[in-house]
Amino acid sequence: MNNFNQFKKMFSAQLKLTLREKQAWFWGIFFPVILMVIFMVIFSGSSENEFESEIAIVADNPNPTSEMLLSQLTQLPILDVKTGEPVSRNTAEQWVKDQEVDAAIVLPESEEDTSFVLVVNKEDERGVTTQALSAILDKMVQQANLSAVGAAPTFDIQFESLTSGNNELNYTDFLLTGMIALSIAQGGMFGMVDLVEMRRKGLIKRLRMTPAKMGIFGLSDMVMRLLFSVVQILLLSLIGVFIFGANLFISIPSLIIVFLIGALSFNALGYLFSSFSTTQNAYMGVANIVSFVMMFLSGVFFPIETMPDWLQPISNLLPLTYFAEGLRDSMVYETGLFSSTLWFGIGVLVIWGVLSFVLGSWLYKRKSIVAAR
Amino acid sequence: MNVLEVKNLQKSFGSIKAVQDISFSVEAGEVFTIIGPNGAGKTTTLEMIEGLVTPDHGEIHFGEMDWGHHAVSIKMKIGVQPQSSAMFDLLTPEENLDLFATFYEKARPTSEILELINLTEHRKNQVKKLSGGQRQRLAIGLAMISDPDIIFLDEPTTGLDPQARRHIWDIILELKKLGKTTILTTHYMEEAEKLSDRVCIVDQGNIVTIDTPSALIEKLTKEREVRLSFLDGEGAAEEGAIFADNLNSVARTEREGAVLKLWTIKPEDTLLDLFKFTKENEYQVEQVSIREMSLEDVFIAFTGKEWRD
Repeated sequence: MNNFNQFKKMFSAQLKLTLREKQAWFWGIFFPVILMVIFMVIFSGSSENEFESEIAIVADNPNPTSEMLLSQLTQLPILDVKTGEPVSRNTAEQWVKDQEVDAAIVLPESEEDTSFVLVVNKEDERGVTTQALSAILDKMVQQANLSAVGAAPTFDIQFESLTSGNNELNYTDFLLTGMIALSIAQGGMFGMVDLVEMRRKGLIKRLRMTPAKMGIFGLSDMVMRLLFSVVQILLLSLIGVFIFGANLFISIPSLIIVFLIGALSFNALGYLFSSFSTTQNAYMGVANIVSFVMMFLSGVFFPIETMPDWLQPISNLLPLTYFAEGLRDSMVYETGLFSSTLWFGIGVLVIWGVLSFVLGSWLYKRKSIVAAR
Repeated sequence: MNVLEVKNLQKSFGSIKAVQDISFSVEAGEVFTIIGPNGAGKTTTLEMIEGLVTPDHGEIHFGEMDWGHHAVSIKMKIGVQPQSSAMFDLLTPEENLDLFATFYEKARPTSEILELINLTEHRKNQVKKLSGGQRQRLAIGLAMISDPDIIFLDEPTTGLDPQARRHIWDIILELKKLGKTTILTTHYMEEAEKLSDRVCIVDQGNIVTIDTPSALIEKLTKEREVRLSFLDGEGAAEEGAIFADNLNSVARTEREGAVLKLWTIKPEDTLLDLFKFTKENEYQVEQVSIREMSLEDVFIAFTGKEWRD
């Protein structure tokens, strides 16, 4: 039988093995999907409208100044005035106490009166909402002051946000690419447990008794794993884009390279684990620890920059950091093949992959001499 | 014609000498059985012959071929059923056989093998759902898929119930009919006696003896144990014992109640004389038996060890 036919047969056997392995489906497909959905529901709900606050307005003594301010305040889209009408101070204070509103704004009681009062709950004194509200009021006061002396503002702030490529990175995109990186990495690190089982049951020995070309067998296994990872990418992307409104701008060549190098590196890492684990449990223990550490230190769920400074150098050593960044670059920022950052990340992944593979192979050889039985 | 020749095999694992010095040759078409206690070196010997373990010393020849120069050709010619019946548990017997068939240049049709190992009915069940005996039969089937000339079966019946064991014996006898050479290791003396053309007893890494089962038993001893139980009670048995002691062919006698035991080098003559005696005295003999010698006795005689299954 020629090599290609042998490959086809072996691949179809691998396909059946994977399809029938319930654990593979759970950890490879179901688990990452659930994890991503949970994180997206919890953390990305408020990213659509960045800030919105419900307030009460007190205008116990309507006058031209208060009328003018009232109309300005109600026009601000980020402020939602409860009941839409000014209420009495007592009512407003009660609402604040009960946290039914974020704050109450007491408008000046007469034309001569120039002071606002911002009433907030003690609990929220240092909250983001309070600060934002006081900033808004501050700005209005300044404008009022300026117009009172008949001056036009000389300086003005214009708000602009920057990201390095497309300007639409939000948390959903960040999490989606992180989750894809994590699930491919875990697929590699956990997937090689088959090898431990095959060795424990003597299946590798059994295959070595046949003239089967182990190279082709390994290749068919690897192609199967890559295909499984492609399914992971597609499934997670579809859920991210269609259910959570993620924005993807994909550079296909970059994505293919990052994906292949990343997937191979993490499979090499799994291969290394399998070389020194004699039982399935031992393997799973090692894979779990490593994957757990990486999950939280590699900027999968939150950017590395938000972590303490002393922890960041560790993150900068981990392969998952570079895999997640590479996927973000190629799937969200549409980074092409001419980016040095991209290649630096790929380089780190290659180093991890090659070192793991060489060390793993060495351990396999060494063990096969010691435990030849 | 010798299909396999093994000369002065030696193998140590650390300080343990698993195989000290083993030489034998196997003829085409014979069932050659290696027996011996656990740790005698049976599996290591087989694994060296199968090319899995490199011997420290010694030669292995398959006709003109050896592992150093013809590894792939040898693998094409031999079929192996290892002790751990390793296969893909999530595939069905049919799929396992199909997959293994791709490893070889020529292969027998899967359906034929399934028929031979009597698994046609279960060909679509995943291996993990098969019984021990069914798995073992599939393991033998996987060893036969390439239609090899030489088949190695390492303890194919260990841990199986008597019926499943008999199933496997049938397969081995079937292979013999097809003219295949089978090299077998086993824990069961009865099996070795029943199936083998020649038996090789191994102990502590050395060959104790090699011969046909009947020749081994023959070699063992000339004395056979004969028992007669007398219907007329102890007195009759006692008189029989006195009579037997005076016969030239009888080495010694023993009496347990109405049962007379005696050891003789010529059971036929002794029995003829004894029956003359009982006829004259009008004693009635209820049971007569000559104890069969078995390989187990051979094993005990050669190794000085009790045989344990």
